[in-house]
Amino acid sequence: MKVKSINLERVEGTARLELVWKDGFIEDARVSFPYTRGIERVLKDRPYMDALVITPRVCGICGHAHLIACVRALEKAMGIEPTLKASLVRNITQSFEILQNHIKWFYLFILPEFLQDSNGLRKLYEPFKGRRWFLAIRQAAQAVKAIALFSGQWPHSSYAVPGGITSNPKPSDLAQLEAITHQIRDFFLKQVVGLEEEELRRFLEGGSLSLLKGDLGLFLEFAHKEGLFRAGRAYNRLLSGGELYNPSGFYCKKTYHGRIKPSALQELTPPSYSTVSPLRYRSFPYETGPLSRQLLSGNRFIKNLHREYGDSFMVRVVARVLEIWHILSRIEEGTKRLYECLHEPSTSLKKPPHVKRAYGYAFVEAARGTLMHEVEIEEGLIKRYRIITPSQWNLGPRCERFLGVAERAIVGLESERQAMLVLRSFDLCSVCTTR
Amino acid sequence: MKALWLQRLTCCGNTHSFLNYEGLEYLFSRFEYFYHPSLSLESEEEVVERFLKEDFDLLLVEGAVRRDDVVLKELSKRARFVVAVGSCAVYGNIPALSDPEVCGLNYRFKERDGLLEDPEVINLPGCPAHPYWIAHTIFLLMQGKKPELDQLGRPKDFYSSLTHWGCTRNEYFEWKVDAEELGSERGCLFYHFGCRGPLSYSSCNRILWNGVSSKTRAGTPCFGCTEYDFPRRGLWETRQYAGIPAELPIGVSKRGYIMLSGIAKMFAPERLKNEG
Repeated sequence: MKVKSINLERVEGTARLELVWKDGFIEDARVSFPYTRGIERVLKDRPYMDALVITPRVCGICGHAHLIACVRALEKAMGIEPTLKASLVRNITQSFEILQNHIKWFYLFILPEFLQDSNGLRKLYEPFKGRRWFLAIRQAAQAVKAIALFSGQWPHSSYAVPGGITSNPKPSDLAQLEAITHQIRDFFLKQVVGLEEEELRRFLEGGSLSLLKGDLGLFLEFAHKEGLFRAGRAYNRLLSGGELYNPSGFYCKKTYHGRIKPSALQELTPPSYSTVSPLRYRSFPYETGPLSRQLLSGNRFIKNLHREYGDSFMVRVVARVLEIWHILSRIEEGTKRLYECLHEPSTSLKKPPHVKRAYGYAFVEAARGTLMHEVEIEEGLIKRYRIITPSQWNLGPRCERFLGVAERAIVGLESERQAMLVLRSFDLCSVCTTR
Repeated sequence: MKALWLQRLTCCGNTHSFLNYEGLEYLFSRFEYFYHPSLSLESEEEVVERFLKEDFDLLLVEGAVRRDDVVLKELSKRARFVVAVGSCAVYGNIPALSDPEVCGLNYRFKERDGLLEDPEVINLPGCPAHPYWIAHTIFLLMQGKKPELDQLGRPKDFYSSLTHWGCTRNEYFEWKVDAEELGSERGCLFYHFGCRGPLSYSSCNRILWNGVSSKTRAGTPCFGCTEYDFPRRGLWETRQYAGIPAELPIGVSKRGYIMLSGIAKMFAPERLKNEG
C-alpha cells in the first residue's frame, strides 16, 4: 500500500488530495481543505442588511450567487417578493455569472490539464500565452460586464436588496446586454462546439457525440484517450434546489423525485482529516451541479448521454459546457420580457423594515450547483446564519457510511492524472468550502 | 520582469477582478515570468522553493495572512517590490475579524502591525481591487518606478481622491436632496443609506468598474471597502446625532455642514426634488 499526498494546483483557494494505492488502483481518496475564514461567525449580531455585503465575499467567482441566495433568504424571512422587473434582472445577472464561471472552468482549469504532452495545442491554451486562453478570458470578462450594467460591478456587488434591486436599467443597458449575449453566443458556436446554430439544434435533438467539433470536440478526443468516458462515476445520485431554470428535485435509482426539503438536509460530524462537515440528504450523499440541473430540466440530449455513460467524468463536463447554450437562450428570453417591464419600480419595498423575529432560507443555483443560505433574525440582528455550498455537496468528506461524492468518483481509478481530472470535473472551489 | 502572485486567506475575488483587465494579453507579454497558483501549470511548492533561493522583481499577495507565514516573510526579502492586492492582503479584512492571528502584510486594520515590518508594501486595497489599479501599478513597476504612496502605502494615483468624485449623484449631495428609498435613481445615499463615498479614498467613480459602472451609479451605497474599517457594522445605515451624520465628509466641519446643508436644502432646484 502506497499513500501519496498532493497539493492541488489551479484551484480556487487551497486543497489537498490524498491517494491510497493498492495493486495499481486507487483504493481510497481523501479530499481536504486546510483553511477556514469564519464568515458565518462574522455575521452574527450584525444588522441583517450587512449580510448582503458580507456573504458575496465568500467567493470571488460565484459571489453573485451568494448575494442572490442571501436576498432570497431575507425576503422569505420577511414574507415579501421582488418586483417582476427585479427578479428578471436578478436571473439575468445570476445567469451571466454562471456563464463566465463555466467558460473559465473549461478553458483555464480543464483544458490545460490535457496539455502536458501536446506541443501544438499547448501553444493555444497555455496560461498567459495561448490565443484561446486569452479569448476565453475576454468572453468571461464580457459576461461579467453584462452583470455590472445592472449591479455596478463584478466581483462583489450588493445591488440586490429585499424587494428588488437598487439600480434602474434603461433600454440602452438592454441594448448593450443584447450585444454581449450575441458575442458570447458567437464564441460558443464557433469556438466551443464548432457548429452552425442549425447544426447544434439538430445535434441536441439526438445527434452523436462525434459531431461535436471545436474545443469541446477536442476535449472529447482527449477524454476518450484517457479512458474517461465511463470512469469517474460517483453515486449517480443527483440533486438540485431549482429556482433558476429547472425544478427542484433529486435523482436516484433511475427515478426522479420532486422538491428538496431543507429539513431532510443533514450536516454530520467531520472526519479527522477535514474541517468540512459531510452533507447528506435523507442520509445519502448527492452530487449537485449542471448535470443535475440538465437532467431535472429534461434536457433530452444530456438524459440520453447520462443513460448511456452514467454520472461519469465525460458526462459531467459535457453537461456543464452545453449548459452555456441552454443559459444563453434563457437570457435572451429574459431580456425580451425585461423590455416590457422596465417601467416597473425596482423594489417592492422602499426601505429595509425593522424585523422583530424571522426565519428564512433560500436555494439558489450557482455555477457549481445548489447553494443554500439560511438566516434567523431577532430584533433586526442576525442571530444565526448558515451557508451550504455546492462544493460542500460535491467535495465534502466522508461520513460513517459513505465516502464523499468526489472521493467516491476517484476510488478505482488507475492513475494520478485520472484522479486529478475527475476531481476537476467537480470544479475545485475551496474558497466556498472553507468560508 | 519576474513575478509571483500568491494567495492566502482569500475568496480569489482580486484574481477574478484582475482577469477583467482589457489589456491582459499585452500585460502578460511583457512579463519574463509570471506565476499564479490558480492559473499556472507549475506546482506552487516547486516555484516557491526556487524563488526562495533567487532574487526576483515582484511579489503580489492576495488574501489575509497568518502571523506565522515564514514563506512570505522570506520571499518578501527576495522581491524587489511587494504588492498587497485587495483589502485582505492590505488590512486583514474579513478573515482577520474573527482571528487575532490573521493580518495584512504591513497592517492589521489601522495598526502597522502586520506580517512584514519591512519592506514598505505597495497597498492596493479594495474588496476587490480594481483591475486598473493592479495592472497599472504593475506597468509602472515594470519601468522600475515605484508609485508615489500615501501614508497607508496606497498609490496616490488611485487613492488620493474620494469615491465621491465622479459620482453621478453628486448634484444631489451638493443640494442635500437625499434618497428616501432604495431603488430610486434620484437622491444622494449619504444621509440615509450609509454611503461612504465622501469618506473613502478610491477612484471607483473615475475609473469605472467593468468599464461601465460603479456601486453608487447602480444605486448601491459605497461601503468604503478600500478603508481599514471595512466592513463596518451597519453597512446600510448612516449613524446620526440630532439629525447630523455622526461622520461627516472628510475635512468638513460640523458647523460648516449644518450651515451649508441648511442653505442648500432651501435653494435646491425643483428638478432635483421631483421624482421621474
